[in-house]
Amino acid sequence: MDPTRWRGVDVESDGMPDRTTAEEQLAALQADRTAVAERVVQPWWYDALLGLLIAGFLASYSLRSTWVTLGALVLFLLGMRGLVALYTRLTGLWVNGFRAGPTRRAIHVWLVLYAVVLGAAATAEYLLDVRGAMAVGGAVIGVGLALISRWWTRIHVAELRGQP
Amino acid sequence: MTAVAPHFDAVIHPPPRLQVCGLLAAVDTMDFATVRDAVGVSDSVLSKHVKQLEEAGYVRVSKATRASRLRTSLALTKAGRAAFDAHVAELRRITGV
Repeated sequence: MDPTRWRGVDVESDGMPDRTTAEEQLAALQADRTAVAERVVQPWWYDALLGLLIAGFLASYSLRSTWVTLGALVLFLLGMRGLVALYTRLTGLWVNGFRAGPTRRAIHVWLVLYAVVLGAAATAEYLLDVRGAMAVGGAVIGVGLALISRWWTRIHVAELRGQP
Repeated sequence: MTAVAPHFDAVIHPPPRLQVCGLLAAVDTMDFATVRDAVGVSDSVLSKHVKQLEEAGYVRVSKATRASRLRTSLALTKAGRAAFDAHVAELRRITGV
């Protein structure tokens, strides 16, 4: 982000800005949002790790061991915490994935995908006794999450490049 | 989308504070150091502005230790977000947008 874009913007007045100052301030605010838009984009491997974490956790159900699933859950939670810390360290900021706004589209698609695939996989694994169904479902959900995460970021970037 | 009533806010108006609010409005939290670099001021100058925003109830300051380093992060409060939106609406009104 370039702080020089705010040079020339009225810095002395404490009163109501005139039209020129207001225009300059709005332009500077938009320029800052555009700079944030460039900063929020996560590296591709972040999404890959995110997908792997959820895929690994869901796949653990196929082993049909409570202890394995509990261990996978602990790894999943630690991994998620690590990803949050990593993202914050890389970008210097954090944005809640469930925030209001246009990105909700991606969240809705994710929730539908998660519910449908998990429901189908659990039915196959536990009701139809298809061994490995949860592993396949986990892989589908993992790949879906990685792709939806990229899509979410694209929507967010487009939003930031809009009006302040 | 609900229209925001324009309102000039003297606390937000000075450019460094307007810029801080603009940056924080785009995210949930931002590290103090990231804000400082974006605004282009020293730690002490930013601290002074953040203090004023905090006293107005517009900014929340959080401190956490990560990897044995103390990190300070800033976030707009709900009141701060509303005040910033109203101030930006006022700037738009002035420009006739």
